[in-house]
Amino acid sequence: MILILSSNLEPTTNEVLMWLNKMNKSYIRVHEDEFFEIKIINKKFFLESYRNSFFLEDISSVWYRRGGGLKFKRETYKNPAVNLNMNEAYHWLEDYVIKKLESKKHINKQRNSKLNKLLVLEEAQKVGLLVPKYFLAENTDDVIINKMITKSYTENIILEAVNENYDGILYTAVVAEHEKKPFFPTFFQDKIEKEYEIRSFYLDGKIWSTAIISQNDKQTKTDYRKYNVQTPNRNVPYNLPPEIEICLTKLFQVLDVNCGSADFIKGKDGKFYFLEINPLGQFLGLSSICNYSLDKEIAQFL
Amino acid sequence: MRYFNLYSSILITKGANRILVSDLQRNNSELQSLELCEIIDEFKTNSIEEVFAFYDDESKEIAQEYLDFLLEKEYGFVTAGDWDRNFAPLSLEYVDYSEISNLFMERNELAIPKNLIQSIDNLQISHLVIFCKGKASLEDFLKLEKDFENSTIESLEVFAPYQTEIDEAFIQHLSQNASRIYNLVFYNCEKEPFKVENTFKFELLFTQQNLKINSCGKVDLKYFDTNIKKVLEAINHNSCLNKKIGIDAEGNIKNCPAMLQSFGNINETSLEDVLLQQNFTNYWNLTKDDINVCKHCEFRNVCTDCRAFTEQTHINKEGLDVSKPLKCGYDPYTNQWDEWSTNPLKQKAIQNYSL
Repeated sequence: MILILSSNLEPTTNEVLMWLNKMNKSYIRVHEDEFFEIKIINKKFFLESYRNSFFLEDISSVWYRRGGGLKFKRETYKNPAVNLNMNEAYHWLEDYVIKKLESKKHINKQRNSKLNKLLVLEEAQKVGLLVPKYFLAENTDDVIINKMITKSYTENIILEAVNENYDGILYTAVVAEHEKKPFFPTFFQDKIEKEYEIRSFYLDGKIWSTAIISQNDKQTKTDYRKYNVQTPNRNVPYNLPPEIEICLTKLFQVLDVNCGSADFIKGKDGKFYFLEINPLGQFLGLSSICNYSLDKEIAQFL
Repeated sequence: MRYFNLYSSILITKGANRILVSDLQRNNSELQSLELCEIIDEFKTNSIEEVFAFYDDESKEIAQEYLDFLLEKEYGFVTAGDWDRNFAPLSLEYVDYSEISNLFMERNELAIPKNLIQSIDNLQISHLVIFCKGKASLEDFLKLEKDFENSTIESLEVFAPYQTEIDEAFIQHLSQNASRIYNLVFYNCEKEPFKVENTFKFELLFTQQNLKINSCGKVDLKYFDTNIKKVLEAINHNSCLNKKIGIDAEGNIKNCPAMLQSFGNINETSLEDVLLQQNFTNYWNLTKDDINVCKHCEFRNVCTDCRAFTEQTHINKEGLDVSKPLKCGYDPYTNQWDEWSTNPLKQKAIQNYSL
């Protein structure tokens, strides 16, 4: 039995489930608003929510897709001392369930589904990947205008309803002028003159890459996610050089993440620059353009 | 030295006199000369300078124009020193999880028998097309939507005869309660009951034509669609019949309701059992490369094909009809589109089908 933890209407999950149906693999899909009670039946761990129930030992593999992972129900007790103690008891039962699940075959883990982008950059350099020079600063004193970019180091780049009715997206942008006042710690990085970008999907040691050629188009020059709907960027199947693939595999291993998307820039200088890893990103768009069938690959792995 | 790299999402289909350049990422195709195809081939094994050196001064200019055209269309890019060998070919494999993607039914009434609804669910069919010969009431339509409420059916397309009961209120009511109907055609309609504007959940058409099941199968530019999934399917399978089941008005299960061969009747057998019959899927793998005339046509990878109505000239060793579609007026050897129905060479087949 495969356990899938995802948000309710997540389209990538739906596609993978269709493949699991085709392969006759049985699965349990857990929604983000689902809370489990931990029970013991016949000396075995049993988990039960309003729509699912299963023995822990029956789970053969786990796909941690989205939605914050497995959540648990807890009772509260009137006596604060009892409550404190019971909370700890809950904690150890939950900890046991999460760690047992992580010890099974899995795609990503509940505990490190979110990566610290700053630490990833340090690890990337350690495994031998080239990273454009960067620093954090509260002013633009050391920023070279038009030669450096700034981008968010948060996982979520969407500002929901930032401006009453509109969501905002934090894109990568070139720094065009100095700021007079100090500001919140901000990420600055050398701007690389790029030939094209590369998005590489990694799953358990295998890599599928796509070249994203956006240089001809001002709208997408610094951030390809600023889509041009009329003439979309050229996205085509691509192979990273083997030495870069080896480094990238090492990086995923060091981070203890076995699935995710990595972004690179191929510079005009011919070098490959590593930018970041997103373990939970959407990848089926590029997968279908390149005919990679990544949804099928995931279903096969589980 | 400079080198031209063709993007792997550009598919070139060579016809007898022309090529079709299909951009599988941007979903469009255009006709070009065989000469362009030759120069692209030369760029695959020679540098740009070497290719230009093959030509005299006058032709060199034309070669340069072709190169400019390829770059302007973003069909490829130029590198210095060598081709960029990290760019990988596009796999032409067709991968799809559905057992059956499409069910095409000819019905005397809109209502669908219970056992059939169960089979549709078991097979996880996503698209259903119903050609209805009898009158369909608003209740019939609402019942149809309800029957598939919790099913894998994503889209319903219905053709039904027009009747006076159908007015704006009828359609409005249906639109408010429909979630799967995406295309609705009322045929045999003398005059539109009201002016159709794009305010409904589905596409709506009233047509004067008296449609019949044998109105299907026309091959025309307007039906051609450049879409990576459809093109990959056409390269590997029959673009009309792959993963399709047809049921005619009498309940006979077929590859297409307009075809003759029946594999059983829904009153006696299930769709699941028919699928297990080995020869049911014989036509699924018949590609345009196997079909007479079409194999030399530049449109073969975007064509809709038709195995129900053909010129009836060629049968292959396996007994499959490999003749050109009857309702195609295109000749890949002259590059002319003519009216198919008046072509003297097609009259015998037209009579055989009583069209």
